[in-house]
Parts: sequence; structure tokens; C-alpha cells
Amino acid sequence: MRYEAVIGLETHVELATKSKIFCSCGGHSAKGEPNTRVCPACAGMPGMLPVTNKRVVELAMRAGLLLNCQISRYTTFDKKSYYYPDLPCSYQITQWFHPICREGSVEVTTKDGARTIGIKQIHMEEDAGKLVHDDWTETTLVDFNRTSVPLIEIVSKPDFRTADEVMAYLEKLKTMFRFANISECEEGAMRCDVNISIRPEGSEELGVRTEIKNMSSLSSIRRAIQYETARHLDAVERGTETLVQETRRWDDVKGRTFSMRNKETAADYRYFPDPNLMPILIGDDWLRRVKDEMPASVEEKTAEYQSKGLSAKEIASLTAERVLCDLFDALISSGREPKEAASWILTECGGILRKHGQVMGELDIAPEKLSRIMEKVSGNEINRAAGRKVLEAVLYEGADPDEYCEAHDLSAQGDADAVRQVVLKVLDNTPAAVRDYLGGKKKAFQALFGGCMKELKGNGDPQVIRALLEEELAKRS
Amino acid sequence: MGQFVTEIRPGGAIAVDDTIQVKGYETKAGSRILEGFQPLFGAEAVERLEKAGYEIAGKTAVGEFGLDLLGEFSHSGATLGASGGLRGAAAELAAAGTVKGALCADLNGAPRRAAALSGVGFVKPTYGTVSRYGLIPCACSGEQIGVMAKSAGDMRGLLEAVAGHDPKDGTSLPTESYDYADGKAVSEMRVGVVKELTDAASDGARAKVQAQADALRGLGVAVGEVSLPLADAARTAWNILLCAETCNNLSRYDGVKFGYRSPDYRNIDELYVNSRTEGFNFLTKAVILYGSDVLSKGRYFACYDKALKVRRLVWEQSKALFENYDALLCPACGKTEYQPYDIKEAFGAVFAESFYTAIPNLTGFPSVVCGGVQLIGDALQDGRLLNLAEALEGGAAK
Amino acid sequence: MMTAEGLSALEALNELRLTPDEKMETLSIFRRMESYEAALQEIPTDNVEVMVHVMPLANVLRDDVQAQPFTRESLLEGAPEHTEDSWQVPRLVK
Repeated sequence: MRYEAVIGLETHVELATKSKIFCSCGGHSAKGEPNTRVCPACAGMPGMLPVTNKRVVELAMRAGLLLNCQISRYTTFDKKSYYYPDLPCSYQITQWFHPICREGSVEVTTKDGARTIGIKQIHMEEDAGKLVHDDWTETTLVDFNRTSVPLIEIVSKPDFRTADEVMAYLEKLKTMFRFANISECEEGAMRCDVNISIRPEGSEELGVRTEIKNMSSLSSIRRAIQYETARHLDAVERGTETLVQETRRWDDVKGRTFSMRNKETAADYRYFPDPNLMPILIGDDWLRRVKDEMPASVEEKTAEYQSKGLSAKEIASLTAERVLCDLFDALISSGREPKEAASWILTECGGILRKHGQVMGELDIAPEKLSRIMEKVSGNEINRAAGRKVLEAVLYEGADPDEYCEAHDLSAQGDADAVRQVVLKVLDNTPAAVRDYLGGKKKAFQALFGGCMKELKGNGDPQVIRALLEEELAKRS
Repeated sequence: MGQFVTEIRPGGAIAVDDTIQVKGYETKAGSRILEGFQPLFGAEAVERLEKAGYEIAGKTAVGEFGLDLLGEFSHSGATLGASGGLRGAAAELAAAGTVKGALCADLNGAPRRAAALSGVGFVKPTYGTVSRYGLIPCACSGEQIGVMAKSAGDMRGLLEAVAGHDPKDGTSLPTESYDYADGKAVSEMRVGVVKELTDAASDGARAKVQAQADALRGLGVAVGEVSLPLADAARTAWNILLCAETCNNLSRYDGVKFGYRSPDYRNIDELYVNSRTEGFNFLTKAVILYGSDVLSKGRYFACYDKALKVRRLVWEQSKALFENYDALLCPACGKTEYQPYDIKEAFGAVFAESFYTAIPNLTGFPSVVCGGVQLIGDALQDGRLLNLAEALEGGAAK
Repeated sequence: MMTAEGLSALEALNELRLTPDEKMETLSIFRRMESYEAALQEIPTDNVEVMVHVMPLANVLRDDVQAQPFTRESLLEGAPEHTEDSWQVPRLVK
């Protein structure tokens, strides 16, 4: 008999907000020393009251729109109770009764073709803190920086059949969410619980279902699915063990899942509506505004950049990262030429980032500064090599392009008059070489050129120097 | 320990009960579990009082988390007064004139009972008018900080100082400030004596209601009898909600982050269980366990959800009465005095007495206690209730 | 109906332990409340919406602005056990 796996995913995604979901502490979990992004509320102290961050609601709506969901017109928050040291209030504010999005779908493409995965719901909730186990003191240290950082949980229908489909789905969510500024999706900002069962192909009945909790790396998720599917197959086909419905964890070192035999499985979360949080009503106007503010998708950006004459390769590189598109668009709107802008971002910025061991997604530069550098180069104020130098200083020293050129005497070297002075000085100081050249020894030109470059400390534009040299030599013939 | 609550700063004017945070004062909400807890910020209501020029006199004891009848089971220390904690600490201070007034949290009617027994006034304002920021939370959907004072005029002044929109409380109504001077003349008002609540009370408590009804008639108020058939259901519903919400809110006290930690543990489970077992009294434990049960998978719809629906029916039934009546008159408590009792009886005793006080907590309607009785009004009609209270004071003086 | 076993499970769920006496007392509290609950069931509530909030507010939201007015030191000061930067509990089994 042939079997197929039935897989469903619960994917937690940390939202890219400045502050937490119910208090004003810094929202980004990956930043900061332990417990520096904490207030009495996220340390579980009494007295503070939750007030919902509007941006969280709008980013959840945005995610729902991208995943073709129905956006609820009425959505509320509920409390879920359990004890664990990373949960300071011993309850988590989540959405149980009226989640913000329902009934969506997303198409995933693997080597076997395209399939549609159903989305059951998306809900908003707060994250828990982090625990660090200290072997020296035999204690566990509790860090609440991540407590109350906003998450959306995307609950898929059990529509996946293979690990490949799961990978394609997660990669697609990642690209979509990064591109729409919903989440930075960096390491640890996307975590999955995977539900797995197997059944004879063509059967509608579901087998015993197990859940593997809290995995964050794609390779772990793939390996865990493969392991767990094989375990189910062995159990069903060869009777190696009796499957029970349970929660398991993935051990990445041993490469296997193991049962979490603790009280968590018997927990009763006692959900109830949070009396401190008023319902959120989403009307047509608000929904329309969120739609209007939605950043263009990869597809839309691709079409736009094609019309601007960029190559397929340039477009692919730019649309790989939202920040690159934003930078490119800003350069265009401040009057820079598209091909040039793409080249400065991908070749020049890219080269410098690589040199410093960084990737394109980490590019962080004020568009007006890059625009200014490009302007200086295209206006021959400085040459491209000097422009690169300025760019590196802007990226890694926070320099201002104009001030930097001034301070490093760069502006002068592109300036034709200044270069002409250098050329005249070289011609005056090396009369022998001039005579040789005028007498037909064309090789002498290289010596004169080298002299100029030396004077200009290598910063001269070779083409400009060459042209000026020829012009001045012609005058002396 | 006794010093903690009985110390009154010289020249102080307003006492604050121990469930309301005041910066610089240990805040225990009457519970050992909060031993040593120093709040990092003061309650909005307290800050507003200070801004309005009032001085904070000190803190008064409450029963653990304000869950008991009158503050008799308190870890804050002994309450003031000769009656052994059965009159309420804040009410005794106000009655004795030691303070001009007090801020007290009304969770299940304790300050209303205390005021009625001590002959002072208390207003539990309309839900959402006074910020709960800085209140040690139990039942967030119906608890409110209220104002205790001898005279209706003082209650009005204090309430005006503390009420108004607070963006730090997501349930705070948008009105920036309130004017509690109501234009309606008392002689044009109609008051309904609630049959179910009055009939059930002791002779002494019923006599007080009759006396105040007569006094109101003497002031030209049209007084009639009204029926609230859901009064008993209102009590059950409120106690279900209160226990469930309190169970949830008290789950933060686990010996990990602040407050009391048992010295006796070998692992995290023992740390939790021993800290909470030693930190809470039996009444609180019973509230937590019952509250947990009404939220459990099998019981949620029969208990908690049902209580939320009954809340709407009680609200509608009361609202219908406010179409014809400016206020409902009833006892604030079923007795005129209380005898000491064992904590094992506390849950039942509080449940019994909350019959008289549950409706304003359940529905958010305002309630004013004066002259030993209770007046309940429509939402945002706190000023009208204070007008009636003022008229009764004047009438009594005559 | 609440049973002794049910009560033990509730104690565990709420990280509490009752004495045998308190267990008896608690069971009788549950017994009394169960009769009040039964009376509540008599009230017809078909087509009645739950009332979570007594005042009709909606969309109480704040802008996404960061603020960090409390220091780590002040937050950790009242902790029963802490290190320089963290709260501390007995080591949890992995």
C-alpha cells in the first residue's frame, strides 16, 4: 500500500514594529542586552494595562491580504493561561474566538508543480521571553526582552504532502513578508509547529497525528518532517511502535524527534476574552487604506523595473530585498538615471558590502547621500574610483559626501582646471620627456601620464588626464 | 506590620487603599505574596489627586486582594478601629475625621459595605471614568477605583479630581474630564426601591432603606417600588466572572519576578507551588480554584459564557428601569453589623453579601452609598446620584 | 460535579496545594456554587450576545512608538533571586 503524509503548519512570525504589541518597549527581539527592553508590564508586575499597537493590527491585515484571507470586521483578544518562567504573567494574550484573518490560500511551486495550500486563520499574539540555562550555577536565567514582541501565527490547513512543499511555502512566506515590510524574518523570527499524520493514498481518513513544536531553521524543519514521516510509516507498516497523539520536539544533533512527556500535553489553557482590550472593528475605509499602503509586490516591482530598462539580472537582484527596491526608487525620484542607480547599488555598494563580509540585505544608506555621490561622479566633480571611496566612508564611517570630498581633497581631482594645473606642472618639470614625445617617441607619453597620476595620488580620472595631456602637448608642438 | 497601614502622614488628607499603587509605599494588596513589592509607578488616580493639590495621607489595609467582606483577612496588618476589622480601615478613618477621604478599589462591594456600616459615603463610579492604571488587578471587567468621604460634596470634589480619560487604560472612556454637578432638581426625580434586594435584607438594613425612602419623599422625590428579577442571577454571574478573571490575574504571582518566594524548593514546580500555597490565604485559593474551573474546557460555555450573556440581560433589565427612574434604592449590605468568622466561611459569606453589591460591578453602572443605603444609577449619572446623596444629607441635618 | 480528583487536578493546574481540611471546604464551596449555576442555566439566553465589556468602546489603539522609561536595575531590584542582568530560577530540565 502506498501512503501519503498529511502535514499542517502553524507558523509564528515576529512583526517588524518599533515597539511591542501591548506596551512601548522596543519591539525587536534580537537586539539589546538581556532585560533592557522590559517594563513592569512585560516583567509580569501588576498595575499596567495593555494597549494595542495599531501597527501590529495593520501588519496582520497586510499579511492576510497577501495570503488571500478574509479580513475579519470584528476581531478581539483572549487570554491563554499556563505557567512557565518565560511567560511573566502566566498568561499570553492571543486571539482564540475572533482571529483577525480567516480562510486564505497560497500557491506553492515545487519541482512537481504548483499546489494551493489553504490558510485556516491568522491571529495576533504576544511572544514569550527567553530562557538561558546556566550549567555553572545550576540555574536558569530569564530574559524578558522578547516578551510581548508582536507575532502573527499563520495556521495552514493540513494540505502539505511533502517536505518540499513545506520548504517552498516557508520560503514564499519569507520573501512575501520581508518584501511587504511585515517581518524581517531573520534567524529565529519565524518559528514553526508541524502537525504530521500519514494515511493510505486516496483515503480521506486521517491517521494518528503528532505535533513537532518550535523549530526555527528550515533545514531542521525539513529533516524533522522526513524523520517523523518515516517514523509513522515504520509504525503503521512494520508495527515498530504504537503511535499516540502527542507533542514532540526535534533534536537537531541526534537527528530525531522525541516525546515531551510533561504536563504541557495535559494543559487546559482556559481561554477567555480579555476584559482590558476592547474589540477592533475593521471598516471599509481602514481596510482600503491598508490595501493602498501595501508596498508593491515582487511581481509589480519586476514589471515596473522592466519598463525602466533594467536587465533581468538587475531586476532579480534588486527585488531580492525590499531595502534595495526602496533605495532604488528613492534614487530615481531624486533624478538619478535607472541603469546608473542599479549599477551603484548592485556593483558599487554590493562590492563594498562583500569586502566587509556583509550581504545586500544589510545595506543601510541614506538615499540622498548615495544620490549626492552619483551626482558628483556624473558631473565629473570626482571620478568613479573616488566615488567608491566616498561611498565606503559613507557606509562605514557615517561620512557626509561633500564634507568627505572636501576633507580628503577629492573634489579637486575630478575638476578639469585643477587637473590641467597638474598636467602643466608635469610638462614644465619634465622638458626631456616632452621633447622626446614631440620628437616622435610616443612611449614618452606613458612617463608623462604616470607623472600626472603620481601628482594626483592615483585619484585622477585617466581619461581626463589623457585628454588634457594630449591637448597641452599639441599646444607645444 | 501594623505600622504599614496605620501610619498617617501629619497633615495628610487622603488615604489610599493597599490595592492601589502609591510610589514610595510597599504595595501588598493585603497579601503575603506581594511582600516587599515596591511599585515602580503610582496609580493614575493617585497622581491626579496629587496634581489637584491633595496630599496622600497613607495607605489603608484591605483584605487579601480586596476579596473578603470588609478587610478582615488581611496581610497588610491589623486594620484600624475597635471593631476588629469588620468596619473597613478606610471607612473608619474617614468616619473619625482622620482623613478627608480615601481612594478604595471596589471589586466585590467591600468599600460600599464599609461605608454603609460606618455612616460615610462612597461612590463606585461608572466603569471607564476613573483609570485603573496602577490598580492591582483582579476582575478587570468590573472593578473600579472609587472615592470615600463623609459628605457628598467631598465625594464630588474628589471624583472630579481623579476621573477623566487616561490613554494608559484601554477601557478608559474618551471624555477628558467630568462635571458632576447635575442640573436635575431632586424634586423632579424618581427613585425605585428594588424589591428583591430590600426584601432579602435584615430588619435593620431594611429599616434604613425605608427611612431613606421616606426622607426622599419628604424632599419631593417620587419614590416607587421596582422589581429586578435577575438580581440573584446577577450575583452568580458576577462571582463567576470575578473568580475567573482573578484566577487569571493572580497567576502572575509565582515567586519568580518579585514579591514572596518560599524558602523551601528544589525545582521550579516546588518554587511555584510552595510560594503560592504559602503566599495566598484560603479565600484567595478558593477563588482561584473556582475561577479556574469555570474557564475549563468542559465548563466554559455553561459557566463563563453563560455569565457573560446574563450580564447583558441584567444590563438590559436595569437599563429598562432607568427609562423611568433616576436611581434605584437598595441596601448596600444585608446586615447592620458583622461578627468575626473563620476564613473557611469567607467565600460563602462574601457570596451572600455580594447579592446587594453585584449589579454595579457586573454592569458598570455607578453606585453611591450614603446614609447607610445604596443608590444605583444609569451609566454616567454619577452626578445625579450625588445630588440625591446631598439632598439626603441636608434632609437628615434638619 | 467537582470531585476530589478533579480538585487535585485544579490544584496542580493552578500551582496550589490545599490541606485535607481545605479540600473538604473547597468541595463544599463548589457544591454550593453548582446549585447557583443550575439556577443560571434556567435563564434563557438563546440569541443573547455575550457582554465582555460594559461600555461600548472599540479600536482603542496606540501609535507604534518606542519608549523605555524603566531601568533594568529598578525592575530586578525586587526580584527574589537575580543576576546582574536576569531573573533567576532553579535550572529547568531541558
